Amino acid sequence: MKNIVIGQFVPGSGFFYKLDPRTKIMAIIVLMVSLFLLKTMTQLLVALAIAVILLLIGKLSIVRIVKGLKPIFVLLIFTFFFQIFFNKTGALWLDQTMSLNWLSAGAIVLATVLWRVLARWKVGGILPFLIYLGLLYVSLSYLSYGSTWTSFQFQIYEKGVEMSVFVVIRLLIIITLSTVLTLTTKPTDLTMGMEKLLRPLKFIGINSEEFALIISISLRYIPTILDEANKIMLAQASRGADFSQGKLKEKVKQVISLLVPMFIIAFKRSEELADAMESRNFVPGKPRSRIYDLVFGMNDIVAFVISAGLLAAAITIQVI
Amino acid sequence: MGIHFRQVSHQYFSQQNSDYQAIYDITLSIEDQHEFICLIGHTGSGKSTLAQHMNALVFPTKGTVEIAGVLVSQKRDKKTDYNRLRKHVGLVFQFPEYQLFEETVEKDIMFGPLNFKVSPEVAKEKALESIRLVGLNESYLNRNPFNLSGGEKKRVSIAGILAMDPEILVLDEPTSGLDPQGKRQLMRLFKDIQEKTNKTVVIITHDMDLVYEYATRTLVLSDGNLVFDGTPDDLFRREELATWSLSLPQTIRVLKGLKEQFHLELNPYQKTVEEAVREIEKVTSR
Ligand SMILES: Nc1ncnc2c1ncn2[C@@H]1O[C@H](COP(=O)(O)OP(=O)(O)O)[C@@H](O)[C@H]1O
Ligand SMILES: [Mg+2]
Repeated sequence: MKNIVIGQFVPGSGFFYKLDPRTKIMAIIVLMVSLFLLKTMTQLLVALAIAVILLLIGKLSIVRIVKGLKPIFVLLIFTFFFQIFFNKTGALWLDQTMSLNWLSAGAIVLATVLWRVLARWKVGGILPFLIYLGLLYVSLSYLSYGSTWTSFQFQIYEKGVEMSVFVVIRLLIIITLSTVLTLTTKPTDLTMGMEKLLRPLKFIGINSEEFALIISISLRYIPTILDEANKIMLAQASRGADFSQGKLKEKVKQVISLLVPMFIIAFKRSEELADAMESRNFVPGKPRSRIYDLVFGMNDIVAFVISAGLLAAAITIQVI
Repeated sequence: MGIHFRQVSHQYFSQQNSDYQAIYDITLSIEDQHEFICLIGHTGSGKSTLAQHMNALVFPTKGTVEIAGVLVSQKRDKKTDYNRLRKHVGLVFQFPEYQLFEETVEKDIMFGPLNFKVSPEVAKEKALESIRLVGLNESYLNRNPFNLSGGEKKRVSIAGILAMDPEILVLDEPTSGLDPQGKRQLMRLFKDIQEKTNKTVVIITHDMDLVYEYATRTLVLSDGNLVFDGTPDDLFRREELATWSLSLPQTIRVLKGLKEQFHLELNPYQKTVEEAVREIEKVTSR
């Protein structure tokens, strides 16, 4: 539970840190729109190169970005195979008859067990998974013994491969861009930027200031509450509530022993916070000034020009 | 038996800040019986982290801890019954709010014993026994724990651990937030428990007067290092006290002041106020 981190801001001093959060949010929207305008592989590769160059300019460690990609790795793999299986246009590259029978089913079970064991021991990183896929392919295609239960055609088309690579690269770029935003912007700055950008919504009755306040309080308190949850868990484990064992009835009791103190502490905290805010003269709905207001600087103009330029380039390519 | 730390280090991992090492290379042994240990050190020196190693709540990132003959190392071991270790070493957390959750004090105290598969009847008896031990009468058993005062909550949370019948009792800052009288009462209580049952008691505290008066052994942590392990009499004669962010007990401070101011021939190392008064009377009546 300790590993859940809301907002992945890492202190630093590159180009992106100097930008106004409003600029970053707008620029990322603009860049994403441009990205979706791109149609061919070459254009996308150019975009990828530009994304990498941006990272280098911002002196952001690529390792960190790749680390940030880890949680959505499953999504990437899923997207990849989804495209390969269901896009059936272009030249046929591979046509393989696959059959499920006693032998291949057994081999699949064996391969799955092997893969899970390797994954449990955390050996070889992604390698066991690739080997597993290879084994699946081989056993489905070439192993047959006894009666065949079902058989099907495994087909890969040229366009399918191209599209899957295309979509995955596009996703990669989008995630890289948003990681740059969250990595280089403090959560508080991010909400302040949102608040200012959403100001115009006041006309349709949405108060962006209150919205921003709610978000910043949540951001501020989520780590605190998690920390507290961790302490409660330890305190109850100390009394024998080992959350990893026990029957269902005991489990329910253990969860209650966690939740009750959680709520009590959360309510207490919220009351304290409300008192602290009121004692500093906070009145809901009244306009407030700020000590640090956001100001656009030279860097922001540069960033605007660059992103507008890229959008223009993307549009131009599509038109001609 | 007992608890044996062998070169234990613990590092907290966090993604936002760089990883933080809370304790460094700690080696020490605590026996099951006869010890009254005070663990002291400035805030953030790693006292709570060390205490949480004593019943395997957290695992060392380097080194091993042996608790009641069971070796605890970096990883959770499926074969180890950690609940047995937690029954062997009872750890009371600093804030009772982290553990009180039942609608009556009695049920809350019974939670620990029931988790250790004690029958409900026996758990009830234990609840009664331990609520008396912590100096509350049995009328408290039917009260709602959330309507108690801070000091009473603290006592109930201690009773909740006592009811588990641990061999070693570890208390994280049990006296913080209490009035001076309550502090002394609680210390007296722990001393009583230790004398009656011979169980080892480990107490984290910032109160040097109590340390000097009650402890048979003191452990001092400074920036995550174990810098002293010995009797309080030795400790308060050490020159390095200030560098470890510790102060002298009131009795020593007053007597030292008197000694210097009036050039009296007195021994400033007196544990209690009564002893200090006697010492002053002794030298002034001469
Ligand atoms: N769950 C945690 N995650 C990260 N750092 C922690 C955690 N718990 C404690 N620390 C850090 O470890 C250090 C030692 O903490 P602790 O053992 O609680 O000290 P003490 O009890 O002596 O005040 C502190 O600097 C604290 O910030
Ligand atoms: Mg502490």
